[in-house]
Amino acid sequence: MLIRYLSLTNFRNYARLELTLPDRPVLLYGGNAQGKTSLLEAIFLLAAGSSPLASSDRELIRWQAEADGLPYARVWAELERDGRRMELDIALEKHTLSNGHTRLQKTIRVNRAQRRQSDLSGKLNVVLFTPQSVDLVSGAPAGRRRYMDDALCQVHAAYSEALERYAKALRQRNAVLRHVRDEGGNPAQLAPFEGTLAHNGVIIARQRHSFLDALSRHARAVHEKLTGNDEWLRLDYLPSFDAAAPPASRNEMGIRLDEEWTSRSDVGLEDLVEAYRQALVARRPREIARGMTTLGPHRDEIHFIASSPTLGTHEVDLGTYGSRGQQRTAVLSVKLAELQWMREETNETPVLLLDEVLAELDRRRRAYLQEQVNSVEQAILTATDPEMFNAGFVERATTLEVKGGIVQSG
Amino acid sequence: MSSSIPPSVTTLIEELSELPGIGRKTAARLTYFLLRGRSDLALRLAQALQDLSERTRFCSICYNITEADPCPVCADQARDHATICVVEGPLDVLAIEQADVYRGVYHVLHGVLAPSQGIFAEDLRISELTARAREGEVEEIILATNPTSEGDWTASYLLSRLESLNMRITRLGRGLPMGGDLEYADAVTLTRALERREQV
Ligand SMILES: [Zn+2]
Repeated sequence: MLIRYLSLTNFRNYARLELTLPDRPVLLYGGNAQGKTSLLEAIFLLAAGSSPLASSDRELIRWQAEADGLPYARVWAELERDGRRMELDIALEKHTLSNGHTRLQKTIRVNRAQRRQSDLSGKLNVVLFTPQSVDLVSGAPAGRRRYMDDALCQVHAAYSEALERYAKALRQRNAVLRHVRDEGGNPAQLAPFEGTLAHNGVIIARQRHSFLDALSRHARAVHEKLTGNDEWLRLDYLPSFDAAAPPASRNEMGIRLDEEWTSRSDVGLEDLVEAYRQALVARRPREIARGMTTLGPHRDEIHFIASSPTLGTHEVDLGTYGSRGQQRTAVLSVKLAELQWMREETNETPVLLLDEVLAELDRRRRAYLQEQVNSVEQAILTATDPEMFNAGFVERATTLEVKGGIVQSG
Repeated sequence: MSSSIPPSVTTLIEELSELPGIGRKTAARLTYFLLRGRSDLALRLAQALQDLSERTRFCSICYNITEADPCPVCADQARDHATICVVEGPLDVLAIEQADVYRGVYHVLHGVLAPSQGIFAEDLRISELTARAREGEVEEIILATNPTSEGDWTASYLLSRLESLNMRITRLGRGLPMGGDLEYADAVTLTRALERREQV
């Protein structure tokens, strides 16, 4: 998979960028806050539909464009996938309504035809690794769920659709819970939304489960190489709802069971949905009091567990007890595992986006990462100083300097 | 707004901008059009608006908008009163009537379940529907809410309220495009959707 051409208009600090990308590593260098990260962010936006570095799409519109009264941003790319050309286009436009509020309109186009966000699935696939990626292990659970969603949405349209439906039904059910609590509304109207939540919640949990299984398997192999076999890494999925558990032991925090329901082949999809729905119904009294839904994928968690074969079987939860260095290495392993997972799922190599990550790594990890960069069709790397890379690599790469939202060949 | 504009003008602009799809600019343009008009358009419009609010009411049976109660459809003895088609709004009744294939009667909900926008079951004519289904000689209820998420949720809720009653409950066939709007569907599509209704 290759990005052939990238065009940005009023995106972050880019007024305008027209960039032809070669089919070999691209090395972007320049000082901080010049636009290196934003370029990778724009590419990620086209792949996943939203930015992992912005809390709202509004932040992506260049502030000067807003000040000039043209609150509009656009990211456009031409790709080559499986020998075929494809155009992806996302436009963001801020409208001011008559009541003074603003609304952001997001228009997604695939090959010039307007599409929904879930239609971006299976188009551009990327793996993004930034200095902030370490939050995946050390940060809040929402970031880990977001990570699973970004990876799965890029590949599986059905997942993306289920996620959209789930989020919509969740907002509705929460509104009904508060309506019952505050205005004495009829609790029977929770049922339609519970049906939608159960159906899509099971789809989401199943996909997350098989994703984490594969990721854990790949990450362990990568991690062994990165640590010289000093450490083993495992990812544990803790679904908020586990239908294999007998009702009494079903734990709100989602305590992991030996046999996870999502992988049990003897439990049919319909049975899972029904058990899930019943669990929601059983929780109604408590959830009406709280005014929110407390069961479902929006409460899932992942744990990063490391153990050292030389130190016996002692296991460590890296999120809580890992050192900064251990957490960094674990994230690198997971990101490279994601690369392999995507390759397996799509039979294409994703575009690898590496933001300032080499500086933090020791020689062994750096060498391994450069090996991975050489294995993909396209990689875009950023660095404050191109000297950081070995001469052979710089020679093969196309180096571009980024300065104040302008990209020029270096 | 400037004080040089008479209050009767600003009032009309404000009232018009309350209408859906009409912003302040359009409201002002419409107001000045009415002011400039040589004909008696403003007066005829005023009369029409007065009639609208004074003469129309909800039909006490189906809750469609009507001048006579019961409405002409409910009053028509030639129609099949054992079949009730449940729709979101009066414009859906209009669309189905124009297709000229349906001989039963209607029930107008005046909306769909949209809790996040503050619209709950209590805001719709749902208890009126269940009462009607319990009392009368109803044999079939066709759930004809739009094929959108909200329309499906509403249909699912109605089904849960009606399924204990001994009658056939159907959902409009899949002829309508997903996410589509009943009131904009053409006659052929509506006819097919009605013919292909399925038991739920
Ligand atoms: Zn009537």
